[in-house]
Amino acid sequence: MGSKISKLNPADFLKLEPTRENKIKEAPYTALPHEDVYHPNQIAKALHPDVQNLVVNKIDVFSDDVKTYTLVADVDEGTKAVAYFSAGQYLSVRLKIGGVELTRPYSISSSPKMALEGYYQLTIKRVEGGLASEYILDNWVEGTKVSVSAPQGVFTYERLRDAKTIVGIAGGSGITPFRSLAYAIENGDEDCSLILLYGSRTVKDILFLDEFRALEARTDKFKLINVLSADDGGEEQGFITADLIKKYAPEGAYSIFLCGPQAMYEFVDKEIEKLNLRKKFIRHELFGEYRNPEKELDYPQEAVGQKFKLTVIVCGKATEIECDANVTLLNAMEKAGILAPANCRSGECGWCHSRLISGNVYVPKRGDGRRLADLKYGYVHPCMTFPLSDVVIDVPPFKA
Amino acid sequence: MNKYDVIVVGAGNGGLAAAANTSKAGLKTLLLEKHNIPGGCATSFKRGRFEFEPSLHELCGVGTKEKPDDIYKIFDSVGAEIDWRYEHTMYRTIVKGEGGYDCVMQAGREAFYDSMELAVPGCREKVKTFIELNDKCDAALDYVEKKNGNPNPLVMVFKHADFMRCASHSVEEVLNALEMPEKAKTILTTYWGYLGVPTDELNCLHFLSMLTSYMDNGAAMPYMRSHELSLALCDIIYKNGGEIRYNSEVTEFIYNEDGTVAGVVAGGEKLYAKEIISNVIADNVFARSKGVALPERDVKLANAREFGISVATIYLGLDATAEEIGIKDYTVFVANDANPRLQNDNRMEGGFYIVNCLNQVIPDASPKGTSMMFFTMPVYGSDVPKDLKPQDYKKYKNDLAEKYIRDYEKVMGINIIDHIEEIAIATPVTFARYLGTPEGTIYGYRTSGWDNVVMRSTAQVKDNGIKNLSFVGGHGIMGDGYSCAYMTGEATAKKVIKRLKGGK
Repeated sequence: MGSKISKLNPADFLKLEPTRENKIKEAPYTALPHEDVYHPNQIAKALHPDVQNLVVNKIDVFSDDVKTYTLVADVDEGTKAVAYFSAGQYLSVRLKIGGVELTRPYSISSSPKMALEGYYQLTIKRVEGGLASEYILDNWVEGTKVSVSAPQGVFTYERLRDAKTIVGIAGGSGITPFRSLAYAIENGDEDCSLILLYGSRTVKDILFLDEFRALEARTDKFKLINVLSADDGGEEQGFITADLIKKYAPEGAYSIFLCGPQAMYEFVDKEIEKLNLRKKFIRHELFGEYRNPEKELDYPQEAVGQKFKLTVIVCGKATEIECDANVTLLNAMEKAGILAPANCRSGECGWCHSRLISGNVYVPKRGDGRRLADLKYGYVHPCMTFPLSDVVIDVPPFKA
Repeated sequence: MNKYDVIVVGAGNGGLAAAANTSKAGLKTLLLEKHNIPGGCATSFKRGRFEFEPSLHELCGVGTKEKPDDIYKIFDSVGAEIDWRYEHTMYRTIVKGEGGYDCVMQAGREAFYDSMELAVPGCREKVKTFIELNDKCDAALDYVEKKNGNPNPLVMVFKHADFMRCASHSVEEVLNALEMPEKAKTILTTYWGYLGVPTDELNCLHFLSMLTSYMDNGAAMPYMRSHELSLALCDIIYKNGGEIRYNSEVTEFIYNEDGTVAGVVAGGEKLYAKEIISNVIADNVFARSKGVALPERDVKLANAREFGISVATIYLGLDATAEEIGIKDYTVFVANDANPRLQNDNRMEGGFYIVNCLNQVIPDASPKGTSMMFFTMPVYGSDVPKDLKPQDYKKYKNDLAEKYIRDYEKVMGINIIDHIEEIAIATPVTFARYLGTPEGTIYGYRTSGWDNVVMRSTAQVKDNGIKNLSFVGGHGIMGDGYSCAYMTGEATAKKVIKRLKGGK
C-alpha cells in the first residue's frame, strides 16, 4: 500500500531550486520600507506612541488648589495628534523639578471624542506635600511644554466583562476618569450607564458640578449623587456605605468602579465586602504611591528608620545613591536625578520591571504585580519595592 | 566599552537562545531589546489575579529529562532549568454542520493511529504509512548531513526517493497519492494552522516533522508561562558575563566598506561587534541600513517573500473552574468546514479557531475557583480592515472576540461570557506594537510553496550575502514556531562561535 506514493515523481525535487531562484530573480531590487508603512503598525503607533509631546493651551481654574489643563499636540516637537484612548485611561506625565526627574500618572478627565478634536484635559488637585501636584499647579502656564506617555491603564469599561450599569465611586480628584466616562457614554462611545456616587467634603469641593448636571439633563444614562461628609448640601450626607450603594444600585447586575484616595479604598472596600459581589463586578483604579510599609504586619520592623546604599546600573553604568527604608527604589532614583521608566507607580503595570542583582527588599503584598517567573529569577517593580539592606539593581533606560 | 564580539538584536526566542550560547562560549555578548522585558511572544502579562500567556499554547520537540528532545537539550546544555509540564492529548477537533465530526487525537504513535482508526475505520495503515514517511525523511537528512551536504545523487534516488517526494510535494499531494480517505485527511492535518499555510501549499516534509514532533513527545509548556523560559535564558546570559539592554531599539545598522556589518545604533549610541545576530526580520534590518549597497540577492529575496500569519487572541480569566463551566479539553480546534483551504480562506468569517484551557494541564495556573481560556485565530495583518481607524479599534476587537466566544458557547453548549472576570484581546495590531514586525506577523516569512523550509536550509549560504550578519527566529531557515526559533538561535550561535573562536 505504501508504494502508492511512487505516483509522485521524486525528480520534482530537482525543480525546487530553479523555482525558488526564479522567484528571487524576478523580485525587485528596491529598498525595503520601514514597518510603519503597514496598516496594523500604523494603528499600533497611533494608539501607543512611545512619547507624546504636548503643550498647555488653556487653564481652567477651579481654585488655587484645583485646575484643569488643556493639552494639545506640540507639532514643533514632532507630535502631530494626540492618541485616542478609552475613558478611564491615564497619561504618565514626565516632570523635571529642580534636580529631580520623575513621572506621575494622571487620569484623562476629558472625553475620548475630545482627543479626536485634538486635546486632552488633566485635572490636577493639590496634594498636601505632593511634589508633582504642587509643581504643576504653581508652574504650568499657557505654552508650557509637557512630555507624556501614550494612554495607559485598564480602568475602562469592557462590554464583554462588565455589567451594563456601572456604579462609580469617586473620591476627591478620583472624579476625573468618571468625567471622561460620562462624556463617552453621552457620545455613544461606550454603551453602558453610569450611576456616580461622588464623595466630597463640602459642596464647594465638588468638581464639575454644573457640567454633570447638564450631562444628566442630556442623557438618562448618567446620574450623579453627591455624598458629602461635612455638609448637608448634597443628595446624601456621610460616607459611601454598603447601604448607600444598595440604595442607588439597579435591580440586576452592576459593576462597581472605584477611584479615589487610598483612605477611601480602605473604607469603601470593607463596605463593598458586605454586598457579597463577585470579584468580576468590582474594579479599582490604580492604588497609587505606596507609603509607610512599616504599617504592614509582615514588614520586618528592624528595618524601620534605616538608610541603605542603592546601586543603580543603567546600560552598564553604575551610580551609587542612598535609599531610606520607607522610600521606594523608584523614588530614591528619581530624587537622585536618575530618570527611571515608570507608568502606574502602583506595582501593577510592570513598566519599571528591573533586575535585583543583590540585596533584600520588601514588596507589599497588596501592590505586588510581578509575574510568577519574576519571583523565581529575582526581578522587582521598583515603584513598589522598599530596601531592607544595601541593594544593587539593573534598570532599563528611560525610553524617550 | 562599546565593542563586543557579538551583538544580538532582539530578545525573542531565537535571540535569547543565541545570546545564551555565545555568552556561554565566552564571547563578549550584548543583547539589545526594544521592549522593556525579554521574550517577544514568549512572555506573560497580568490582569487582576490572572497571568496570561500571550501566544503560545504548547511547544513541540521538548521531551523529558529521561528522553530529551531538541528543546529540552537547548535549555539543558546552557544550564537553564525549566519546570516543564506535559499534555498527552494532541487535540480535539470539531467540524460543524453536515459531514462534520468531533474527535480526539492522542499523542504517541500507536495511540494516534488508534485515534485515527476510531474516527475513520480502516485508515490505520495508511496513516501509519504517512507518518512513517517522516522517519524516512529523517534517515535521508542524516545521510545528507553525514556527507556534509553533498550527497551522492544515486544514493538519494535509490535509497531516499520518498524523502525527495515529501520534500517536493504538498501535504495534499502526498495524502492524495496515498489515497487517504477525505475525512482522515482533514483530521490528520488539523495542525496545519500551526504553520500557517494550508495543506495544498504546505510542504509535506515540514508538516510531517512538526506533526510527529508533537506526536512523539506530546506537547510541553513551562509552569510559569513563557516568561519563565525567557528569564531562564536571561539568567544564563548574565551568569556568563553577557549584557542585556531593554528599551533599546536598534535604529540603524552600520556597515564596513567591504559590505560587512560593523555595528548598530541603539539609544543614540554606536555599538560595534564582530558578528551581529538578528532576531529582527530582514525587512526591518534592511530598512534600517542606510547609505550602504545591500547585496542584491538579499534584498530581492526579502521583496519576494510574503509575510507569515499573525494571530488574533482572546484571553479570558473566568470566575469559575473549568469543570463548573463544562470545559473538558486542553486544545480544541473548531472549524466551519473540514477543508484546510476553506478554513484559511474563511478565517475572517469565523471559519477556524483554536481554544485552550491551560488549567487542564496546569491546574493551578490561575487561583482556586477560577480558570483561564484563550482563543487563537490565525489571521494575517492584512486582514485588519483597511478602513479601520484607531478610534474604532476597541469596538472592532470586542466585536471579533464576541463572535468567537458566542460561537464556542453554542458549539459546546456552555456559558462563558457570564464568567468573564478579566479579558484582553490581541490582534495583529497588538503584535505589531509589541514585536514591531511588519503587519504584526509572528510567523516571519510565510513558508509558501516556493519558500519552504527545505529550500531555506539548502540555500542558506547563498541567501545570506552579509557574512557576519545572521538571522534567527520565526523568519529563519526553519520557519515559524516557538521551538524552531530556539533551534535557529542555537544553531546560528554555534556557527558564529566557530567563526570567532575556530575549532569545533
